[in-house]
Amino acid sequence: MNCESVTKFIPLYFYGELPPEDEDSLEQHLDTCAACARQAESQRALSAALDRRAMQPSAALLAKCRHDLMRAVYREEAPVRRADFSPRGALAPHLGRFAAWLPSLGPWRMPLGASALLALGFITARLTAPGAAGPFSLASLTPENVISSVRSVQPAREGSRPGEVQIVLDETRRRVISGQLNDSNIQRLMLAAAHDENNPGVRWESVDLLKSHSDSSPVRELLLNRVAEDPNPGVRLKALDGLKTYTGDPEVRKVLAQVLTHDDNPGVRIAAVDALTAHAGDDMVGFLQGVVEKEDNTYVRRRCVKALQDMNASVGTF
Amino acid sequence: MAQDAPGAVGARLSPKLDEASLIRAVQRGDQDAFEQLVRAYDQSVLRLAVNLLRSQEDARDVFQEAFLRVFRSIDSFRFDCSFHTWLYRIVTNICLDYLRKRKVRKEEPAVVDTPEGPLDRMNDFEEEAAHANPERNLWNVQIGQRIEGALGGLTPRERMVFELRHYQGLRLRNIGEILGTSEEAAKNCLFRATQKMRAVLGDFQ
Repeated sequence: MNCESVTKFIPLYFYGELPPEDEDSLEQHLDTCAACARQAESQRALSAALDRRAMQPSAALLAKCRHDLMRAVYREEAPVRRADFSPRGALAPHLGRFAAWLPSLGPWRMPLGASALLALGFITARLTAPGAAGPFSLASLTPENVISSVRSVQPAREGSRPGEVQIVLDETRRRVISGQLNDSNIQRLMLAAAHDENNPGVRWESVDLLKSHSDSSPVRELLLNRVAEDPNPGVRLKALDGLKTYTGDPEVRKVLAQVLTHDDNPGVRIAAVDALTAHAGDDMVGFLQGVVEKEDNTYVRRRCVKALQDMNASVGTF
Repeated sequence: MAQDAPGAVGARLSPKLDEASLIRAVQRGDQDAFEQLVRAYDQSVLRLAVNLLRSQEDARDVFQEAFLRVFRSIDSFRFDCSFHTWLYRIVTNICLDYLRKRKVRKEEPAVVDTPEGPLDRMNDFEEEAAHANPERNLWNVQIGQRIEGALGGLTPRERMVFELRHYQGLRLRNIGEILGTSEEAAKNCLFRATQKMRAVLGDFQ
């Protein structure tokens, strides 16, 4: 073995990747060649330095990653409420494809998607004209800030000219209002928007914006209401997120306990366990033991078990 | 001579558990089995991402993206390679994407200068070397920059091969399989990586 091949083989030798016969040849060469022996020493020193650079992820980081992953998995598995929209008309096939893509986004993004679908559904209803003539745009006949839809078309009435028809339009005028979230008028509008039962996207966005003002009683009441009542799990999770700083409050804990025992979405239940156990006390032991006994979701159950263990409490009841 | 890092990589399943049965259970939609499968590999996946990307945030993103891809595509796993290889193909592809993006936007240094002095952004991690050692911070500052610079000079693929061999203790044949190349190509990659680093850290002893 010559110096050139030894140079190439040194890293492989060091990592134990050389066949035994090459390893023997290389070692014989190193015994007789000072220059190559220095190279081998340099490789050893490099390796030692790199070993010191090795990082071991902390247990906390690993736990956080596991937690985030399982939440994401449960979100992916959560059923998407398809009743929120009913695509029809010429755009329906496109909406169908869009809807098929929705589950991969998960409920966190689902409300935005649902919002888009609602908007598309509305536009479909507005713009689709019967027959093969293709869509006809009412928008071209109305001002830019007015959204129109046809409520009814009436035949010519007696006394009117032949061929005359009457079309009744519903018009919604769009108005932009800007203001600070702590402005009471703005907050009132946002609170109303957060209850808009037809639009989960608007509810999600409203809750998301309002949750930074959870020190306001009406906002906190809204968050409690949404976390317990909203039909959309994404909105419920967002509202729960807004209550995190109040998990020591008895009223909040009562609602969270109700969520943990009654919510049909495991992702929301997991978030409720996390929020509740952030202020775990002895008074929670019996409650958590009851959840462990009845909960059918492995991950939620494990979160409760972990909380009980952290409190040095027994997992089962006797 | 350095040997493979025992237990550094791979399944941490109980020997009683049959991995194939576990995978089939996941394919049938068993969430509990998925969680067990994740637990078997997640430490080594996170360790790879942390060591390779040197960023807590990126490592978390890689972790989540990798296992979500596993979750979404486990049905397509046909047992024609080991699950470990299949998983690591996913993980290394994601990590390579991150490394390539970083190359484009210029790599962020692990040690950054601040008004209070040099700061190692990786201080949040537990290190295998004794971090209670008071010389540790000094080492981080003085040598860490040079090593990061040397690693930064590697191509993403060289860096990946080096990380998998040096830190994860994988055999080059397995690395080739994971990266969709030959053992010989992986050897050449490792050789180039070590040569480049020794060129930068030549007088380092």
